Amino acid sequence: MKKFSTVLMATAMLSGVLAGCGGGQEQSGGGTGASSAQTPAPAASSGSGSGGKVTVQFWHSLGGKNGEYIDAMIKRFNESQSKVEVVGTFQGSYDEMVTKLQQAVAAKSEPDVAMLERAYVQMFADSDVLEDLNPYMKKSGLSESDFTPGLMGHSTFNKKLVSLPFNRSTPILHINKTMLDEKGLAVPKTWDDLKKVANALVVKEGNEYKRYGLSMPYDTWYPIAMITEAKGKFFDDAGKSIGFAGGEGVKVFQFLKDMQSTGALYYPPAQDSGNIVNTMFTSGKIGMMFQSTGVIGSLSDNAKFEYVTAFMPMDQVYANPTGGANVAMMAGSKNKQAAWEFLNWAMTDSKGALQFVLDSGYLPFTKKMVESQQMKDLWAKQPARKVAYDQLQYAVDTNKHVNWTQVNQEFLKAIQAIMYDNKDIASTLDTFKKETERILKQ
Amino acid sequence: MKQVRRTLEFLLKAIVLLVFVFPFLWMISTSLQTLQETLRFPPTWIPASPQWMNFVTAMNAGPFLTYAKNSVIITFSIIVLQMIVMIPAAYSFAKYRFFGKEILFSMVLLAFMIPGQVTFIPVYLMLADWGLIKTLLPQIIPFMSNAFGIFLLRQYFMQIPQEIIESARLDNAGEFKIIRKIMIPMSMPALATIALFSFVSHWNDYFWPLVMTDSAGVRPLTMGIAMLRETEGISNWHVIMAGNVVLVVPILIVYVFASKQIVRAFVYSGIK
Repeated sequence: MKKFSTVLMATAMLSGVLAGCGGGQEQSGGGTGASSAQTPAPAASSGSGSGGKVTVQFWHSLGGKNGEYIDAMIKRFNESQSKVEVVGTFQGSYDEMVTKLQQAVAAKSEPDVAMLERAYVQMFADSDVLEDLNPYMKKSGLSESDFTPGLMGHSTFNKKLVSLPFNRSTPILHINKTMLDEKGLAVPKTWDDLKKVANALVVKEGNEYKRYGLSMPYDTWYPIAMITEAKGKFFDDAGKSIGFAGGEGVKVFQFLKDMQSTGALYYPPAQDSGNIVNTMFTSGKIGMMFQSTGVIGSLSDNAKFEYVTAFMPMDQVYANPTGGANVAMMAGSKNKQAAWEFLNWAMTDSKGALQFVLDSGYLPFTKKMVESQQMKDLWAKQPARKVAYDQLQYAVDTNKHVNWTQVNQEFLKAIQAIMYDNKDIASTLDTFKKETERILKQ
Repeated sequence: MKQVRRTLEFLLKAIVLLVFVFPFLWMISTSLQTLQETLRFPPTWIPASPQWMNFVTAMNAGPFLTYAKNSVIITFSIIVLQMIVMIPAAYSFAKYRFFGKEILFSMVLLAFMIPGQVTFIPVYLMLADWGLIKTLLPQIIPFMSNAFGIFLLRQYFMQIPQEIIESARLDNAGEFKIIRKIMIPMSMPALATIALFSFVSHWNDYFWPLVMTDSAGVRPLTMGIAMLRETEGISNWHVIMAGNVVLVVPILIVYVFASKQIVRAFVYSGIK
């Protein structure tokens, strides 16, 4: 009896899928509903439509203040010309965006332009759903060399330039300078310095730590940064295994565990760790933290002490991954020319992404932005941001792989085992290595 | 001895109550603080001066009136449609004998067990194909029937004596009249419970609207509140919590009205 109803159920579901796929082609416009009704034929791809404006759908993941800044940028574009109307829509977090985009591609209701967290770009590039921007760039007289090299690591796949940097960030060392000065300590440049300074900042009363030296959010980003500082690579060059089995991984985690045992490092609980460390930093419970450049703005607004930033301390070398998101044009877009007009404007116009970067505090990503007077003025006012940009010369992304998201989950598990459960470092990383090799083979 | 037990009982109740009420109080407190107060450690309990402007900021962050309207339309339509589908279904499952009844009922139970996360892609593709993504329907149609409701209501209907229905039939009452005049009034507590559960789960739903909508015009309140969060940096918790208070108030109001019925529903089904 039960079996029969399961079969029935499965058939019903399957027919739903088939209906969804089969019908897609004959009325692909159906999915986009209202917007495609307004812009009838795909003739719009030749630029402006015969009548009114061409609508370009832009999906992004920016909420809160940054959401307001991106809305303002879109508004500036819409007011700057009369042919294209960009509609920006928030689609949840970076991860949620991936789900939404996958289902939209399947239903042929994808947007024209999408914001993609840089590590996800490869996955979409691999399924060939992102437009190659090279021809558009050439036509508009743009070239890859106009962009900051450290931020182009997730842009070209199979010789196709499929995304351009947009809201990009990188991990950096945030420092409560007042606290260091009280103890006569200098800003740490190496891991050894970092350990000494962090230990010197610890305040212990009885069995309780009242103040810690260093902290960082619960994320794979910071251990990855440290692995590259120790001259390791996250994935090996062949992309078949991890590239830090030669002792770099053990070194990183041993360093962190040593610091954790003396209160020099506070490792926060997983849930909402970013907010926790930010709050502890601004309220003087920790002296230094590894955190994204994305928080510089809010920290300088809320810190009641002298707040500075510095390069991520080096072990063998200075090195840091990058993060944040890129923008990409969808290959299924029916308004590619109009979409490019918007992207080109954003990349080059001073009212475009430059203003967005100035507002939000993300990294400037074209040489023109870096050289602009506005950027220079901002850096003079907030040197913390200049440090973030300067550090980009050491940017290196070694966690590139189509199956990165799965490996990321496994790495988080390894971090939990080591940082929370005090599991043996070498054997945990060994298990992680085996898991990674299995995933990379898929 | 009795006194000790009473005190213990009271203490236990107080602790349980505190555990449940604490997050609410924190939410309300945070919604009235300044950003600086939310960042302080240890946390502030009573804001120095209540920041009512937080509510205005939250409501101005997006088209909140549209979101609120959508939330109301969606939840209200779902509940009404569910009642229309559920009551006759539960009635027939409880009081009729017909071919395939067991299979059909096991399908209902099956539907009850499959989470939305499993079916959302085919459902989305189908609705996109029908051209409905820019409307509110994708958030309503999939919830037209409520498997849990049918199940609960069937149990409730089965407790209503067959004799009452028989005598109504003798008096020439049609089946719909029986449902209207006997089944519904006698099962008000169960209906209220189902309606409230349904209301809370759809009013608070974030996942389904997220995957089913692409544009601001058809989104409910939960999506609007998710938008208040910062992608990076320090989130404005005071504004987010103000948004959450607005989101929760209707639930509290409905609960106050329905709580009596719900308690009754559980008491009655417990005795039998």
